[in-house]
Amino acid sequence: MEQARRLPLQKKPPQWLRNSLPFWLILPTAIVLFAIQVYPFLYTIWLSLEQRKPTGWVFVGLKNFTQLFATTLFGESAGLTVVFLVLFVALTLGTGFLIAYLLSRNISFTGLYTTLLFIPWVLSDIISGEVFRLLVLPSYGVLSGYLQNPKIFPPHGLSVLTAPPPNPWIGSFPFPPSPALVLLILATTWRALPFITLLLLASIQMIPKEVIESARIDGANSLQAIWYIMLPIMRPTVVVAIFSLTLSGMNGVGMIFSLTGGGPGTETEIMPWLLYSIGWLQVNFNWAAALALLIGVINLLLIIGTLRATRLEEANG
Amino acid sequence: MAEKSGRSPRKNHWLIHCVLILICLGMMFPIVIAIIESFKLPQDIQRNPPTLLPCDTPTQAFNLGACRWSINGYQRVLSIEPDAKSPFGFDIKGTLISVYLGNTLLYAVSASILVVLLAAASGYAFSRFNFRGKRAMMTAIIAITGVPLLTNLLGLYQMGVVIRKSGFPYDDRAFLIIVYVGMFLPLSVWIAKGFFDAIPRDLDDAALIDGCSRMGALFRVIMPLTVPGLVAIFLLTFVNVWNEFLAGYLLVSQNQYKPVMYGLYNFLGENLINLQVIGAACILISLPVIVLFLFFRRSFFEAMVEGAIKG
Repeated sequence: MEQARRLPLQKKPPQWLRNSLPFWLILPTAIVLFAIQVYPFLYTIWLSLEQRKPTGWVFVGLKNFTQLFATTLFGESAGLTVVFLVLFVALTLGTGFLIAYLLSRNISFTGLYTTLLFIPWVLSDIISGEVFRLLVLPSYGVLSGYLQNPKIFPPHGLSVLTAPPPNPWIGSFPFPPSPALVLLILATTWRALPFITLLLLASIQMIPKEVIESARIDGANSLQAIWYIMLPIMRPTVVVAIFSLTLSGMNGVGMIFSLTGGGPGTETEIMPWLLYSIGWLQVNFNWAAALALLIGVINLLLIIGTLRATRLEEANG
Repeated sequence: MAEKSGRSPRKNHWLIHCVLILICLGMMFPIVIAIIESFKLPQDIQRNPPTLLPCDTPTQAFNLGACRWSINGYQRVLSIEPDAKSPFGFDIKGTLISVYLGNTLLYAVSASILVVLLAAASGYAFSRFNFRGKRAMMTAIIAITGVPLLTNLLGLYQMGVVIRKSGFPYDDRAFLIIVYVGMFLPLSVWIAKGFFDAIPRDLDDAALIDGCSRMGALFRVIMPLTVPGLVAIFLLTFVNVWNEFLAGYLLVSQNQYKPVMYGLYNFLGENLINLQVIGAACILISLPVIVLFLFFRRSFFEAMVEGAIKG
């Protein structure tokens, strides 16, 4: 500050320095991002093409990928990830839209409602997982008294964290999901809901009131106004919401740590957990790198989709 | 959020309030349960079948006067011991508080300060200057966030090992702080640019005409106006670092430098059935961020919306 205060009195800095000011302002950010984000990513690419042999590192091309994809664990995990993502995104988006719509209806106590609804957002995924675990821990969890009661859930009661998966309907595709995966979906939704609600609420509030009112005057009922007027206007935001939910679902692993630990068996081993388990539990960095790249590519596609959707939004607004 | 609606008449409908109250109850339910559990006696926790409230007597199913509450869970998390030498007359021996919480405070505060400084500098540059490659750089910064943390952890882990072996002065804590800065910087740059964009350029021009240098204009005219935005970035980063688990867990080799979320995760293994201890630990560790959130609600919402719509 002191130095800045003296600056105007000093001689003007030379021309080259003034022209390069943006460069110096961005340089620190660029260095940190290169070291922490770009370099490790390049390292991962290298890692995914190599394998450790007694003679040292050997270039193996795409062998890591083909070996990884051939494992049954990968196939299982891919199925679980699809089920997890579809249910998680649909549930969060549906509930989030309902809450946002109700909050936008010009009612009392909106401040109180938003504050209460948003508390889960500041809790960490580890804490969220532990809090949900408190509910269903076998024998001791508060809800276990009801869930494990054979009279309520025949024939043996339901122990969420240890129950085996139900028989799949189609081949070995893990649907319907196991109780533990449902619990994971509920907990993840619980934590993601505030953010999505806020996103959708901001978008609803940007819609001019006259548009909705004129539709109502023309005889549309509430549902028709939502379906034919609001949702089309909100489409870019909904797309952003879907992408960002998928992104967080593809990368969130903390909740699994404290909630299920991937189990029972491999029932909640979705992609990010599989990556952790291959890399750090089985210490196979090369396969982990291959899987990480796969997730990274999916993420990049999602980000590009989000950017395109926001550009649409800017063009519309 | 609701500030605009004050003028027009409110259209309250009992159904809307009913649904919202139900949803709020549902959202608060896990937190309320955690609070209740944290105040239970060990013998009430280990009852079979478990009960929601420890308020039953041998003769009655529910009697509010007979509720048995205890602070056993909190005592075990804190393990307070009298200590004549400490200024308060006691000492907190629980590692969660005495070791891990301090680490997390250090990480969160220093990473947030660094993120604010770097994001303000580059956000200002992106907002006010036109130069070749600007669009590409902005896109690259947002694309970077698409690389999953787990992917980067492989490389960062290796980086830590290499630096440690090379004899270069290496410190787990400094390394982790830089990693946190790199993790949360991209979004903050976008948020900062958004905040700078909202300040009219005429203000810069006026300052420049009055004889300010570019840096002078930034520090004396623009910065004071962006303080709310920078506070929002600080808070967002603070909460993010506070809640971060994976990097702290995998990158730090010495246990005494690991963050508080690792301590909590560890608690799960140490207290398999002492749910009152787990509940108390969760409440104690999330209380600071919840209080921050309640005090700075508007800042959080601004930063969230700004960051969400842009990236």
